[in-house]
Amino acid sequence: MTDEAGCGGEARMRVDGGFAHLPGRASDSCVPLERLPGDERAELTRLADAAGFFDCAPEPAVARPDARTYTIGLTIDGRSRDLQVAEPIRDPALAALVSTVRRITRERGGV
Amino acid sequence: MCTLTHRHAIHCILPPYILSRIAEHGSPELRGKAIRALLVDPSIRMVRATTAGPVIGSVARLRSAAGNVLTPSPLRTIRDAKGKPEAPGATVVRREGEAPTGDPAVDEAYDGLGATFALYWEAYQRDSIDDAGLPLDATVHYDQDYDNAFWDGTQMVFGDGDGELFNRFTLALDVIGHELTHGVTEREAGLAYFNQSGALNESISDVFGSLVKQKALGQDAAAADWLIGEGLFTPKVKGSALRSMKAPGTAYDDPVLGKDPQPAHMDDFVRTNQDNGGVHINSGIPNRAFYLAATAIGGNAWDRAGTIWYNALLDPNVRANTDFAGFARVTVDVAGRLYGAGSADATAVGAAWSDVGVS
Repeated sequence: MTDEAGCGGEARMRVDGGFAHLPGRASDSCVPLERLPGDERAELTRLADAAGFFDCAPEPAVARPDARTYTIGLTIDGRSRDLQVAEPIRDPALAALVSTVRRITRERGGV
Repeated sequence: MCTLTHRHAIHCILPPYILSRIAEHGSPELRGKAIRALLVDPSIRMVRATTAGPVIGSVARLRSAAGNVLTPSPLRTIRDAKGKPEAPGATVVRREGEAPTGDPAVDEAYDGLGATFALYWEAYQRDSIDDAGLPLDATVHYDQDYDNAFWDGTQMVFGDGDGELFNRFTLALDVIGHELTHGVTEREAGLAYFNQSGALNESISDVFGSLVKQKALGQDAAAADWLIGEGLFTPKVKGSALRSMKAPGTAYDDPVLGKDPQPAHMDDFVRTNQDNGGVHINSGIPNRAFYLAATAIGGNAWDRAGTIWYNALLDPNVRANTDFAGFARVTVDVAGRLYGAGSADATAVGAAWSDVGVS
């Protein structure tokens, strides 16, 4: 269920691989959206819609050397999806969404 | 005239403004030709302008020299993503031959590409990633708090680190050599980036990344630190580097990052679903094999040991799914072909693989 401000959802992120792959840091992060200020929640929703996150067809996550693979998950307004995305992320809208969720989960994350 | 044999025909056909346009927007192959043409062109035009008609003596020699492209040189372009997650970055900040910008990431990337080009050309006579003068492109300041560098198939991409655990990734010269070497491996053996072949792919990048650094510093095998990514960690991290080729598993031991998980021997091979089957973990095993071979052979590691590994990478018996043992056999075979089957070099290579449990 969501409240009037669109809360009740969450943002999830898992990062795998990379030149500096550190197993000790590879864990799932999850941030309840209610922890975010309203403008940040709105921005996240806007980015998800711009990237067509809940509707886009998944592309095979082919591993490139030292590139990371992100498992990004969002639950917003009753919509929920987890998607695996590998670098390089050619779609600018999806790249912006991944960057934002990575930042949010890093700054405010917990499990 | 364009009737004579010429390496890059477009330079004597097109005016500089069109060449500049191609250099900016053309395909990688055309860009390379256009940039080379622009670099050579001013001298050719000057000589032509002053040598109308028959020429003899020193001017003739100069004219002749200007018409020939001699030693290959890198064609570097550095772009700035300005903190956005986009590669290539939107702004070109330094082109080949331009002066330093004062931005450390830009200038380190430029210099690092040059040092890597120099190793491959001077030690192995390889002209860039594809051995055909491919332009070397890099994007710096990628995304924000981005703790990574990667090869995306056409260029190198470098983050600035988060400033808390990691510094910028251009800081370590071996990282730049490492990323470019992924391009070389992609075009040669094409080692699949998964499990043992993936760890071998990673190891080959560590080997030649380290050799780029050793050659730039003028260090022989005994003097080298054999660390990968020294300087990437901030002072808050208890560790000297990301990996140690000399002593895998000892590069860091930190309360936040944990302990360096690299094995040094096949007995400790790590089976995992993470990191494409542990490509950055199990690379410690072939890394140490190279270290042991290079120090046993002695001298500059990029000379004999590096030549053996380079030629093994080009050997048709090394394919996408080659594992450690398969690569080990080829390196011993190559050492025998280059220096003699019973040579000290071939013996050292065989012993190195045996010491890490690969046979």
